Formats: sequence, C-alpha cells, structure tokens
Amino acid sequence: MKPKTKKIITLSIVVLVVLVITLLLYKVAGKEPFIRTALSGLTLGSLFFLVAAGLTLIFGLMDVLNFAHGSMFMLGAYMGWQLYTNPTFIFALLPHLLAFATGVMLLPLIKPTLVRMKLPEKWVNAIPKITLVLALLLAVFSFIGFDILAYAKTAMVAASIATAGNPFAEITPQEPFATYWIRPVLIFLSGLLVAIASAKPGNKQEFAVRERLSKTLPVPVIFFSLTILALVVRESAPKAVLLMDGNLRFAIAVLVSIIFGFVFGQVVEITLIRPLYVRPTFIIIMTLGLSYVIRELVQLLWDPLAYQMVRPPFAAQPGKAANLLEWFQKGSSTLNIFGVTFPTYRLFVIALGIVMFIFITILMTRSRLGMIIRAGVQDPQMVEALGINVKSIFTLVFALGVAMAALGGIGAGPFLPIQPLMGDQYQTQGLITVVIGGMGSYVGAFVGAMILGMARAFGDYFALKYSLSTAIAEASTVIIMIIVLLARPQGLFGKKE
Amino acid sequence: MSTQTPQNDLLVLEEIHTFIGQFHILEGVSLRVPKDSITVMLGRNGAGKTTTLKSILGLTPPQQGRVIFDGMEIQGKHAYNIANLGIGYVPEHRAIFRALSVMENLKLAERKKGDFDKHEEFIFNLFPDLKRLYKLPGNHLSGGQQQMLAVARALVPDNKLLLIDEPSEGLAPILIQQMMEAIRILSTTTTILLVEQNFIMASQLAQRFTIIDDGKSPHSGLMSDLVNDTELVHHYLGASIKTRKEMELSHEAEN
Ligand SMILES: Nc1ncnc2c1ncn2[C@@H]1O[C@H](COP(=O)(O)OP(=O)(O)O)[C@@H](O)[C@H]1O
Ligand SMILES: [Mg+2]
Repeated sequence: MKPKTKKIITLSIVVLVVLVITLLLYKVAGKEPFIRTALSGLTLGSLFFLVAAGLTLIFGLMDVLNFAHGSMFMLGAYMGWQLYTNPTFIFALLPHLLAFATGVMLLPLIKPTLVRMKLPEKWVNAIPKITLVLALLLAVFSFIGFDILAYAKTAMVAASIATAGNPFAEITPQEPFATYWIRPVLIFLSGLLVAIASAKPGNKQEFAVRERLSKTLPVPVIFFSLTILALVVRESAPKAVLLMDGNLRFAIAVLVSIIFGFVFGQVVEITLIRPLYVRPTFIIIMTLGLSYVIRELVQLLWDPLAYQMVRPPFAAQPGKAANLLEWFQKGSSTLNIFGVTFPTYRLFVIALGIVMFIFITILMTRSRLGMIIRAGVQDPQMVEALGINVKSIFTLVFALGVAMAALGGIGAGPFLPIQPLMGDQYQTQGLITVVIGGMGSYVGAFVGAMILGMARAFGDYFALKYSLSTAIAEASTVIIMIIVLLARPQGLFGKKE
Repeated sequence: MSTQTPQNDLLVLEEIHTFIGQFHILEGVSLRVPKDSITVMLGRNGAGKTTTLKSILGLTPPQQGRVIFDGMEIQGKHAYNIANLGIGYVPEHRAIFRALSVMENLKLAERKKGDFDKHEEFIFNLFPDLKRLYKLPGNHLSGGQQQMLAVARALVPDNKLLLIDEPSEGLAPILIQQMMEAIRILSTTTTILLVEQNFIMASQLAQRFTIIDDGKSPHSGLMSDLVNDTELVHHYLGASIKTRKEMELSHEAEN
C-alpha cells in the first residue's frame, strides 16, 4: 500500500502547485490575457505531447533515445502538406513504394521453402549478402532518370493554387507509361530479393512453419492490386485530390502522415536501430546522424525555404463564431471563448492531443499490445520466454512513436512555417518533457507536456509585457526540469530504478 | 559421437557450450529428460543450472552442442520460437510482471486466444489463492503468491515441458509443501525439468538427477541411487546436505 499513498501525495503536491501557480498567473495577467495564453499553452503542450509520447514509449521499452524524432515530426509535416497542396509528388512515388512492398511481403510465402533448402555453409552465409547488394543495385536502377525533384518542386506552384487561373497547368506531368513501367518491375524484384535475403535460405537456425496459402497469400495480393491501382491513377489522382473537398483532403493528408510515419519508423528500426541494440550509445550517434540526413534530403527536394500551409476549410472561414456549435456549422477561423478571440485551428490541435492521450491510455491499459509493452519494460527476456516475438514488438512500438510524431507534424503544419528545422524545437521540448514526466511514462509525458506548454506560453507573454528577452520562455522549461529533477530525480511519474 | 535418442526422451542436451559475454559458462553439459517424469538438476550456487535452462530456451543460446526437443534440433533458434514449441519457463526469483495484474500476467502467457479459459479451472484448483488475488497488481503479492503466479503462468498454454528454476527458494516451509504438491500434480500430465537446491524436496519429487558442477555435468542417474550415495552428495552438493538416514528420520517426523 505504501507506493500508492506516495503516489497520491506526489499527485496532490503537483495539483496544489499547479493551482497556486494558475491563480497567481490569473491575478497578475488578468482574465483575458490569461485565457488566451493558457489556450496557447495547451496548443503547444498538445504538440509537445505528440512528440514526447513516442519518445517516452520508445525509451521505456527499448532504452533508445531517438534523436531523429524531431526530423520525423518535420517529415510528417512535409508529407501531409505535399498531399494537401501537391499530390503529384506522392502519387509519382506510390507505385514504386507499393511494388517494393509487394516484393517484401512475399517473405512469409517463400520463407518455409527457402529455409528448408539444403545448401553448403558457405552459401548460407553468402546468399543474404549477395541478394541485398543486388536489391540495392536494382533499386538504384529503378530510379535512374526519374525526375523526382521536378515532382517535389511542383509544390511551389500548387501553393498558390487558389489564385491561379488554371491551377493544374503547372503540375509536372507524370512520366509516360511506355518508359515508366520498367521502374515498378525493377523495384518489385528488388523487394523480392530483400525478402529472399531476410528469409535466410538454408539457415538451420531459422524457423518457419508452413502456413496455408489462404493465410500467406492475401497480403501480397492486396499489395499487388494496390500497385496496379497506383499505376493506373498516377496521372488522374493528383488532380482528383486537389479538386476534393478541402476538409476531406486534409483528413487524407493526416492519414498519409500517420501511415508514412508508421512505415518509415518500421524501416528505420529494422535496418538502422536493430543491429545496434548491443551498443546503445551508438544508437544516439546514429539517430543524430539520421536527423541530418533527413534534413539535407528535405532541403534537396524542397529547398531550404519556409512554406505556409493553408488551413483546412473547417477552420478557415472569415468571421468569429460565438460558440462551438456555430464553429462546427460555419467553419469560422476564430471562436469566442469567455470573451477571448482564439483561432479555431488551435483548438483542433488541442483536441488532437487529448484524443491521442486517450488512445494511448486505452492502448496501454486495455490491449494485449499494451500488456506486452508494460511487461517488456520490466523484463523483455521473460516476455520472449512466453513465446512472444519481442523484436517485432520493438519495431511496432518504434513505428507507433514515429507515426505519432508525424501526426504532430501535420497537425502543426497549418500554423507553423513548414521548413527543415521545424522539428528541432519540438524534439528538445519533447526530451525535456520526457525527463520531467519520467522516462517511459505516457501519463508523465502528457502532464509534462502541458506544464511545458504553459511555461512557454506564459514566458512569452510576460517577456512581451515587460519587454524582456523571449529567451526567458525557453529558459523556463529547463528551469522547471531542474526543479523537478532536484525534487524527484526519476521525474514526476517515473519509477525509481 | 551423437547417440541415437531413445524414443522416450523429450529433451536431450549433448555437450552444450554457452558463453555469456566472453565468459565460458557452460563447458559441455549433457543431460536427458525422459517423457512424463521429473528430472532434477542439482549443484552449488553458480554451477550453471540457470544458464543451462536459459540455453535450452535460447535466451543464452549455446555456441556448441545440440539441444534436441521432441526429436527436433532447436539450438540457435529464436527463444520465442522455442517457447512456442511447447516449453513453459518458471524463472528463478519469480520474475512475474510487477506492473501487470494477476489476471494480466496469466493472459499475457496465452499463445492462442482461449488458452487461459481452457486451463482456468485447473490453475485455480492448484492455486486457489490466485483466484482471490485476480485483480491485484503483481507488485502487491507476497513472495509465495508471486511464486505461485510464476508457476501458474507456465500452465496457461499447452506445454509439453516445464522448466522450473528453484521453486522453493525463500518460501516458508508450509508453502514449500504446497509447491511440492503442485509440482507432483503437474508431473502427471507434463514432463518437468527442475532446478532445486532443497535436496529433500528434490529427492522426493524427482525420478532422475543430473549434477551440474562448474559448467559441466559430471554425474547423472536415478534419484533412488543418489540418495544412498553419501559421498557423491557431499562432494558436489556440500557436507550440509542430509544423508538418507537423516532424511528418513525427518520423513517419519512429518508423517
Ligand atoms: N550475465 C552474466 N554475466 C556474467 N556471468 C554470469 C552471468 N549470468 C551468470 N553468470 C555466471 O555464470 C555462472 C553460472 O550461473 P548460474 O547459471 O546462474 O548458476 P546457478 O543457477 O547454478 O546458481 C556463475 O558463475 C555466474 O556468475
Ligand atoms: Mg540459478
């Protein structure tokens, strides 16, 4: 019973401190500035949470600090923004990605046969390496002469789509099918080779049950059909998307960001992080390096410029709504909250953060995955001994974390300038959030994120009011971290080691 | 050099060598576990008994030698694949998941949906206490309750073999009796490889023994032979172990 009383005491102290500080701020700032600043704080906190939640889950389970998390946040913003304003880029790449995935997804189908092959030891070791090199070559071949920069650069045109007479005139046309078709074929073969390499032909230590075709066939067939579909709609889909209702387009953009983050996270975990679990410090250096690579690639594709994403129609109509209902009906850009005019899109971001917190809470407490994660934090070996593939759980959790960062990115897209460094600040604040809240605790991440968001918002407010440097706002988060660490070295909701 | 496995051996280790880091922990351990019986590993602290269990499961995979389970070579395979072949593991120090409730600890051990429902009655008959503690978090259980949960967890899926590491460690005498009884009941349906420091408990439960000493397995045979071999017992397990005569005395006192 002791730990429980302790928890209650900590919680009540935190609540008390928060109440006192809130009252103080209210008195000093006055009603209207207080409400406006508090809402701004919640908006920031919401974004901090989306970044910190992934960081803390990944750290809790795998002891990995992902220093590329901010870059993944940024990538999420770029991907969603591309779909929203320039779907040409994504639809040009989609057949490639799906064809590659089709090849890789054949793994469960071919593995049982390949593993049972009788091969000399030499070949067992050599085949995966040879096939991987071949796969890489094929992948490179499939991109030769593919003008990806042109598709990315269409963005700058599409950004002004609303004003142009014929918005589609400037869209880069897709490559004619007669020369294009070879690319998906090559990259499909590349994916197939990756599958062969991961099946480890002839390796006696691998284990693969022969499943019925009805279990292994559907996934590759689905991906194959999607590839064909993507090939067919390559030209028409971008226009269709641009003509779509803006809200629907935004919803698809959010979905694209999440899916992109999930897939990208999986690829990064499997190829870059997994080999380094035995050397944790190397992972930090590797992710730091990865963040620079991502940033440079983005600068190459879209130039080191800052773009402004147009707000989706549900929060873009001129005029001020008197209440929530009126906002939902008219899609007003601002809303009257207790006499304060506040941008509605930011309310949407706050809601996004809260919804994600509820989602994670349900995931962690109600689902089998959550059970596995909580058990794995304590003792991954024992989880493995129960017959659970912990490696694949690591991949899944990493991918979920990155997907959440990407969601944060697209969520922030309509009110932050979209540029290669946009994630850096959020990564730093996310890391501080994780330290304050306690490593590995998603509740801590939520509370920590809200505290930091408030500190930033009120720091900025008072800096402006008393003509002080805005550095105060940035310093305040670090000061809070130091105070929390002095009082509770394991963070507000962290467990003592 | 490999001998043909007799048909009734569920598990056979042939000269396995295991390294942890650069340390050569197991230097040729061989043992066999006949079907439908209890085999016990005996040996001093640090002899390599736990490492042997972990080598079977692939948690510390052996670099050399063969592990044959149910007629299939399993050395070097992933631990989760090995476990899914039907091996349950009760680790030493009752490694239950403290952040999970009793129910969640049991549910987590399911290999397919419905495993727990299928064995629920059996488990709660064996350990009635657990039913009462169903909703409690793991870190609120007493040592004995944790040990019961650790054993119960291994009973959730269908297992052919149970690896049980020092189930009586740190338990009160009355709980040791209860645990012994539970293991005896389990052995009627499942083959068991047991590690046990408590020589009395080991000799009453097991049919066969293997002595692990300094990463090797110098002796194995029938338990009924070992209880008479005072010299062997004293040499490998320490002079403090009671000989057969003393054991009989204590046994009579019990009844
Ligand atoms: N993780 C480890 N790193 C280094 N040495 C270890 C590790 N685990 C066990 N050992 C060593 O291996 C030997 C055997 O340990 P163990 O199998 O736990 O013995 P037992 O279970 O028989 O008491 C001991 O000498 C122990 O110090
Ligand atoms: Mg031990």
